[in-house]
Amino acid sequence: MLSVARAIVGDSIADEVVQDAWVSTIKALPKFEGRSSLKTWLVQIVSNGAKSRVRRENRYSSLDDGWEAVSSDKFDHTGHRVDNILPWETATPEALLTNTQLQKVIEQAFQSLPAMQRAALTMVDMEGYKINEICNILAISSSNARVLLHRARVAVHDAIEHYQDN
Amino acid sequence: MLQCKDVTEETSNYIAGVEGGLPLSKRIALFMHLVICRCCRNYVQQFRQTIDNVTVAKPQEMDATDRQALAKKLHAMCDKTNPGDH
Repeated sequence: MLSVARAIVGDSIADEVVQDAWVSTIKALPKFEGRSSLKTWLVQIVSNGAKSRVRRENRYSSLDDGWEAVSSDKFDHTGHRVDNILPWETATPEALLTNTQLQKVIEQAFQSLPAMQRAALTMVDMEGYKINEICNILAISSSNARVLLHRARVAVHDAIEHYQDN
Repeated sequence: MLQCKDVTEETSNYIAGVEGGLPLSKRIALFMHLVICRCCRNYVQQFRQTIDNVTVAKPQEMDATDRQALAKKLHAMCDKTNPGDH
């Protein structure tokens, strides 16, 4: 709930939006018809509450802002990689279960993400939402949702890669 | 011909399959590039591992919820609906 609220209204009033959403949820509970899961319904209430408090146009990430998944100096003039990418041996989900340092790296990378990216990553990779569902919840286009998700994953990837190299 | 740089831009969309929204021609071109480029195959593999790691690690949003304020709001709501209780 907090991820969604922060993605839409930002840090300052996200907490207030979540509180209001809880109050609205409890008030509206008798009207809950079970057409979606309770979790989906809750997220929708947060999303609606947050959207009503913010102007949409402030929340769009530009798709053409010069962002690069991998820095240009990692490619030669033909666009092919100059560095050698090797498979990771220690950053596997199995290893993660016992590697607290790697868990910390992922946690820190996650906390450093902008709110919209954090929400996209949480909803898709942790909660299993589809892209079209997060478009509706966050009121963004599907191309924007894909860009946010990809940028979030790249940031976490880069943090793990940095950890691997050191 | 696609370049390694294109793979890094489209990795999420490529591994999502149809859900990724890429045209079939682009998906085939990415696949062909991956067949011939070991670096990009490893990059895509790392990317899949990143997603799996996030799924397993489940990093949490820093919770700053003011529970007392929320409890007050809920109490006020209860008082309004059931004034005789307490």
